[in-house]
Amino acid sequence: MSTSTTSTPSTSATRSAGPWLNAWRHVRRDKAAMAALFVLVLVILVCIAAPFYASSIAHTDAFTSNVNGTYVVDGQTKPVLEASTEGLGLGVNPIGPTWTSQFFLGADNQGRDVMARMLYGGRNSLMIGFVSAVICCVLAGFVGIVAGYFGRAVDAVLSRALDVMWAFPVYLLAICLSVVLINSSVTIGPVTLNSGSIILPILIIGIVYVPYVARPIRGQVLSLREREFVQAAVGAGAPDSRLLRREILPNVLPTLIVFLPLMTAINMLTESALSFLSIGVQPPDASWGTIINDGVGLLYTRPMVAIAPGIMLAVTAVALNLLGDGVRDALDPKARLRGAV
Amino acid sequence: MRVRRFAVAAVSLSTVAALAACSSSTTPAPTASGSSTASASSSGTGATGSGAYDPAHAGGTLTLLAKSAGGTLDPKINYTLQYWQLYQATYDGLTAFTKVDGDKSFTVTADLATEIPKPTNGGKTYVFTLRPGLKFSDGTDVTTDDVVASFQRIFKVSSPTAGSFYNGIVGADACLKTPASCTLAGGVVGDKAAGTVTINLKDPDPEFLFKLSVPHAAILPKSAPVKDAGNTPIPTTGPYMFASYDPNTALIMKRNPYFKEWSHDAQPAGYPDEIDYKFGLTVEAEVTAVENGQANWVFDPPPADRLAEIGSKYATQAHINPLTAFWYAPMNVNIPPFNNIKARQAVNWAVDRNAVVKLYGGASLGQPVCTFLPPAFPGHVDDCQYTNPAGTTWTGPDLEKAKQLVTDSGTAGQAVTIVVSDDEVNKAIGEYLQSVLNSIGYKASVKPISGNIQFTYIQNTNNKVQISLTQWYQDYPAASDFLNVLLGCASFTPGSDSSINIAGYCSKPVQAMMDAALKTEQTSGLDAANAQWAAVDKAVMTDSPVAPLITPKLIDFVSKDVGNYQFSKQFYMLVSQLWVK
Amino acid sequence: MWRFAGKRALAAILVLFAISVLVFLIFFATPGVDPAARIAGRNASQETLAQVRQSFGLDQPIWVQYGVMMRHLFIDRDLTSFVNRGAEVIPQVTQAIPVTLSLVIGAAVIWVVLALVMGVAATAFRGTAIDPIIVVLGVIGVSLPVYWLGEVVNLITQSRLHDTIFAWVPPLGYAPLSDGFASWSLHLLFPWLTLAVLYAGIYARVLRSEMVGAMNEDYVRMARAKGIGEWRVLIRHALRTSLISVVSLFGLDFGALIGGAALLTEVVFGLQGIGKLTYDSLQNFDLPVILACVLYAAFFVVLANFIVDLLYAWLDPRVRNV
Repeated sequence: MSTSTTSTPSTSATRSAGPWLNAWRHVRRDKAAMAALFVLVLVILVCIAAPFYASSIAHTDAFTSNVNGTYVVDGQTKPVLEASTEGLGLGVNPIGPTWTSQFFLGADNQGRDVMARMLYGGRNSLMIGFVSAVICCVLAGFVGIVAGYFGRAVDAVLSRALDVMWAFPVYLLAICLSVVLINSSVTIGPVTLNSGSIILPILIIGIVYVPYVARPIRGQVLSLREREFVQAAVGAGAPDSRLLRREILPNVLPTLIVFLPLMTAINMLTESALSFLSIGVQPPDASWGTIINDGVGLLYTRPMVAIAPGIMLAVTAVALNLLGDGVRDALDPKARLRGAV
Repeated sequence: MRVRRFAVAAVSLSTVAALAACSSSTTPAPTASGSSTASASSSGTGATGSGAYDPAHAGGTLTLLAKSAGGTLDPKINYTLQYWQLYQATYDGLTAFTKVDGDKSFTVTADLATEIPKPTNGGKTYVFTLRPGLKFSDGTDVTTDDVVASFQRIFKVSSPTAGSFYNGIVGADACLKTPASCTLAGGVVGDKAAGTVTINLKDPDPEFLFKLSVPHAAILPKSAPVKDAGNTPIPTTGPYMFASYDPNTALIMKRNPYFKEWSHDAQPAGYPDEIDYKFGLTVEAEVTAVENGQANWVFDPPPADRLAEIGSKYATQAHINPLTAFWYAPMNVNIPPFNNIKARQAVNWAVDRNAVVKLYGGASLGQPVCTFLPPAFPGHVDDCQYTNPAGTTWTGPDLEKAKQLVTDSGTAGQAVTIVVSDDEVNKAIGEYLQSVLNSIGYKASVKPISGNIQFTYIQNTNNKVQISLTQWYQDYPAASDFLNVLLGCASFTPGSDSSINIAGYCSKPVQAMMDAALKTEQTSGLDAANAQWAAVDKAVMTDSPVAPLITPKLIDFVSKDVGNYQFSKQFYMLVSQLWVK
Repeated sequence: MWRFAGKRALAAILVLFAISVLVFLIFFATPGVDPAARIAGRNASQETLAQVRQSFGLDQPIWVQYGVMMRHLFIDRDLTSFVNRGAEVIPQVTQAIPVTLSLVIGAAVIWVVLALVMGVAATAFRGTAIDPIIVVLGVIGVSLPVYWLGEVVNLITQSRLHDTIFAWVPPLGYAPLSDGFASWSLHLLFPWLTLAVLYAGIYARVLRSEMVGAMNEDYVRMARAKGIGEWRVLIRHALRTSLISVVSLFGLDFGALIGGAALLTEVVFGLQGIGKLTYDSLQNFDLPVILACVLYAAFFVVLANFIVDLLYAWLDPRVRNV
């Protein structure tokens, strides 16, 4: 991490640069954050290029079952799912990593190319994980700030609602939804969702974790409310909206920014649990979580199927978090205003 | 029977003459083509047949593992193979399936009765003489009062088969209407002085001895509670009794102190001193435990990624036995798209059964099937209407023909949902079927739901299930157990969770053929009807209400120090006969 | 203080009531879960189905069934399961409690210590390479799916290396404390570590973020100006107020875990705790057990949040009690 410095006005402008530009410059100087940004962009690009990889490099269809498929190695044609020949000849194993363009990471239990599926899966994982994290943090920020700031009855009602949400058996709801949605669809306002829609897991995951982020925010706001600068603003006659915007929000923002990438990682994993229950990503579509689920069933013979998407997930999560740290440090009003170390 | 870990119905709903009428022969006599030969236990130490008891191997604790418990311990209610396997060593009926390895395990022999009586009165009356001197595990004597009370109890506790197996007993109708006051007067009559029990049926029933040999007809003390005993063990007559039962932890069986072997065929003495059946580990953990010698046997089928090591590193501990069973995909013939016969036939043409075999675990564990009756089953004739190139057994699919049929049927492009259980193998096969349906022109999706509700879910027509994946395991070797039970009009009840004719298939001409075959069995015996059943099979496959996929084999994985593995075709591994010393 | 507790107790009852109603509604809104057919047995006749339905009271209107079940659960305390007939639900729950408590408390101790060490170290060494490395380690912990991690741990300790390095690892399962502390802790060692890895990462991240912010506060500068050493500043001054977010999270997580949120860890390691009981009952659609487990869990969530709210005042004296 680089040290934070005071913002420097641009030399040619007649007025000082705004806080956002300063923050961006700050981040640019943070080596770890820039490396993380680079990795993140790389991951996103690679996942966007999934169809290209599947058709032009791996020459494979990542979604159709390939149980009887074959591949060519050293001029020999071999089956993708080969029966064991030792002993009693029990079991059928997919091939392991070939480290060549075809079946780079091996095949899964339906004989499909794991690498290609992983790239396609990244799109779903990143989308669901990130969007639900944004929804969660925005909602939680709102609820936490309102509850912590206004206190009394508002806080009591909101906090009890958060209690119900946190204690609520989401798994039960998910199972119920999965059975209900086998033949029908859920209508929310103008939008009709069937079980394959990814809006469903985004909403569910986004809402389920709201208490997790809202309560720390609320705790912070409770503490902030009593701080001198807030009291000073109150004494100066500032209305609630200005207080919330000018004093509370900027101090709460760093926490939210730290939570965002954290929740993205957690949400990507929660998504796999929901897919297991047929909500969200449905076969034959993939997400990193579903590939990991499939991979756990192959752990004793083909561990790579579970390890590779796990590594992708971890790398993305780390990159997001490092970037988030850089942004957080850049936006921390205390660091900026005081120019502290 | 559906799946071994769920329910076992030892007899089908229909009356099938497994025996020649009025004969006292006890063997269901599978036909020559029907008997599975000594491919019974493959590798392993299993000596076939009933060797005499060898006290050198007595003792020790046998540890069995299962993912979860099997429900109630009450033998008159429990309908799972998991516990029926245990009831063999604990409860006895008037008759029993012979507890030996191999084909003889399908024969019925006298158990608590001294001998199998010839039915009199035109086949409607059986007089059983109760063996004297037998005791329950709580020390009380086994008397004719207990026998009578046990038959009444079948109705009093609403046994699942009360209305299907035992409704032929005189007085059963009154008992079905008002179970609480069931007396079976005139139906089951005990004579304490003579030590006999007389059973009167309304009509002759060649299967009756089978029905007496299943745990629902076990003889229990008359003091047994008149409701589901649940987790409270009921005293037993066999070599073991249930000492304690906690469905979350373990079921403990200990030696019955009052047991003395009276017939080695009917109820052999057991070897282990104690049997601990532990619940709660994942299947992967269970396999590892057996490999490490921490447990002796796993009930659940091993996961796909352990099969290779079991078959190679632990080959001597794996026992593979063929089962008369099949995996199939029933198609709802009453709703689109499969209310169109061309669409159904297209599915049969399109499925590559070799792929399904691979997903099940390979050619050592599964075989493709193309008929309703599995191979080596009475009534089975090798015939395949959906193979390319044409032949009598299945060799390959014909995708072009399937696509053509779908186009011709006018159902192309319709959305189809496949409902499967959410365990690994079912899900994998379901995903494969989704690919197949997509490739012939449908928009298919696969929906795994919890195995605990999938079976009842797909039976209920209110759920509008178009196609699903399920299994059927035989109850005993009779063609009607497959054809009439699964495709008979009487097995189809719309709007009910209990409608085992999942396809909803009811064809008047085919039903007439089945009724004719049943009648032939009653009058001329089992074998005489085989040709008729083969014809029914052929007719049904032409109508194509289901897509038969594979016939599975069973793997028993035991630990290194276990010996004397015996496999009964009726109730699978004989638990009490395993040596741990 | 007592009025505060009283109000919260009332609110807690409302929360529990709301959850129990929700569970009931969701259960009966799910098609295919009618227990009658599954209880009656395979291929049962329609009369048997009807009799079973009646004996379980499943033919009553839903609010009557709710009342009956609540009465059995709280007043008569003899509620029985739908799946294991005759098995009382409350003893199943009480048997499972010590297992979950052992797992969760042990893991909590480990992850709190780990998180404190990591968070403080990351703050103390911010600006150097150590900070991002600690962050990376923490985030990797968060990204590992618990079920996968548990299976990998089992693969290594029970299967592949069981004969060599890990021969001392006992078979999977729970050993009660009464059998000896050594046996109890050895059985729980890997479950503790597996569960702790996930949470340590989260807490380390949040703590680091808060502490870095706190280091810029006035009172910290004041402490430095007084000449107090950097480490003391870190630990005695910055740490305390940074703990508010961490304590909030801990309340949520610990409350949820005691109530059974560690279910995947329990399943993988064969521990018959509340989590596994909940998981099995959901798979079996065993409504009485589901209800008991969910209410038990909800109670602890409410209790944990209540305690956390009390702690705020202690941690940051400027906070008034709400």
